[in-house]
Amino acid sequence: MQGLYQFFEFTGFANVTPGHLVMIAIGLIFIYLAIAKDYEPLLLVPIGFGILVGNIPFLENVGLQIGIYEDGSVLNYLYFGVVKGIYPPLIFLGIGAMTDFSALLSNPKLMLLGAAAQIGIFGTFMAALTLGFTQEQAAAIGIIGGADGPTAIFLASKLAPELIGAIAIAAYSYMALVPVIQPPIINLLTSKEERIIKMKPPRSVSKLEKIMFPIVGMILTTFISPGALPLLGMLFFGNLLKESTVTKRLAETANRALIDIVTILLGLTVGASTQATTFLTPQSILIFVLGAISFMIATAGGVLFAKVMNLFLKGEDRLNPMIGAAGVSAVPDSARVVHSMGQKEDPSNYLLMHAMAPNVAGVIGSAVAAGILMGFLMHLL
Amino acid sequence: MILEIKSVSDSVKAAAEKSDLFNEITFSPEKMIDGDGLFISLVGYIIVFTSLLLLATFISRIKNILALKQRKKLKETGHRAADIEDLSISDETNAAIAMAIHLYFAEVHDMENTVLTIKKVQRPYSPWSSKIYGLRQSPRK
Repeated sequence: MQGLYQFFEFTGFANVTPGHLVMIAIGLIFIYLAIAKDYEPLLLVPIGFGILVGNIPFLENVGLQIGIYEDGSVLNYLYFGVVKGIYPPLIFLGIGAMTDFSALLSNPKLMLLGAAAQIGIFGTFMAALTLGFTQEQAAAIGIIGGADGPTAIFLASKLAPELIGAIAIAAYSYMALVPVIQPPIINLLTSKEERIIKMKPPRSVSKLEKIMFPIVGMILTTFISPGALPLLGMLFFGNLLKESTVTKRLAETANRALIDIVTILLGLTVGASTQATTFLTPQSILIFVLGAISFMIATAGGVLFAKVMNLFLKGEDRLNPMIGAAGVSAVPDSARVVHSMGQKEDPSNYLLMHAMAPNVAGVIGSAVAAGILMGFLMHLL
Repeated sequence: MILEIKSVSDSVKAAAEKSDLFNEITFSPEKMIDGDGLFISLVGYIIVFTSLLLLATFISRIKNILALKQRKKLKETGHRAADIEDLSISDETNAAIAMAIHLYFAEVHDMENTVLTIKKVQRPYSPWSSKIYGLRQSPRK
């Protein structure tokens, strides 16, 4: 009888708390959104299932070595890549190997939209400071506005490792919710006439330009923001593998097998890191709220800056201000949302390639912003 | 490796303990200015903007720099195109050229020519291709 009681103590039924059940419900919602609504399934399925894995109750601190925060457990080993910021640069390598910068190279002024949207990061940084977060935590929360999961995890791992779980979940959730969050803001800030603006088709870009861009881009951006070297170095390296056309095998591995493996490990461990006993705090909810604000400010910043640019542009050089919203770096979801909104207004208006330019510029911009924040704050640690 | 992993967990726990925020949420706008929060935001944003502006400026110049060599070549051959401001070829033109090349090599055309060419096929004898050694003959029982 004693043995049976001891066994019961080890089961999930004996250790379950309301927090575990709440988190399991959240995990199920993530999986539902991914499968039924097709919201970023590649991210939400691993994260959602990870939340389930991380929230199966068990008897903690008795040497079972099963929880993600228990030294020596398998999940703890895998989580090492998140906490030490190993996975994000590898994801960036894959992103670089699958990104075509042609749209940006053919219309470089769209790069500024990617810069403008980074206002969300710095705006939320200040908001988080007023709410009592430390500077490092505020910076890690602010980066959610970049809508770039790997960058958010990378910066959080360096500045505020205690918030990684909440920040990663918030960043990936908002990336998945781009089709829900962005359209109302875009509609609010643009008129019908602006939304139907047709932009000049992008020029063709030579192979030499495509090869030069990752080399020069890496040198230029990392000289200014060396903190972003792991991210930008990998991003541009991946892109060079693709554009050089002589390393096709390496590029294919980076943009398929490697990024898939890392996404699985990252998604699962980030999800599992939301163990109710450490994750469910008022601060996590606050981080979610701040993340949403950050994302909204970033979207608005991009759209408004496109409108400002239009004041100086004439004729077919004018921009459809909706593409400013793609300045957040949720690639390619943001660009896709802008394109479908443009199609709704005028089915003959194809904005996808135009929107991809600020979208990829946003990836570079948010990584540069992360590097700058590291540069300012790392010495304080 | 185990030691390293331990330090990871410890660092997360230590950082969580260090943070006052896990105890209470406050609202204090003065914290935005204290500790250079506002300064970091402004300067940080300006630096992001400047770095991307520099990159954009460079990209816009690449095209012209690369066109210099091409322009020089065109001038040497006395081609009129050397004076055209934009030497790049539009995507539509590229698509038309690609289609023409594809049609040429695939020989997809509407008008078939009426000349029939009959070539005599040479079949030199070889025991390897000889019918008498083929397997079509029924094996002897």
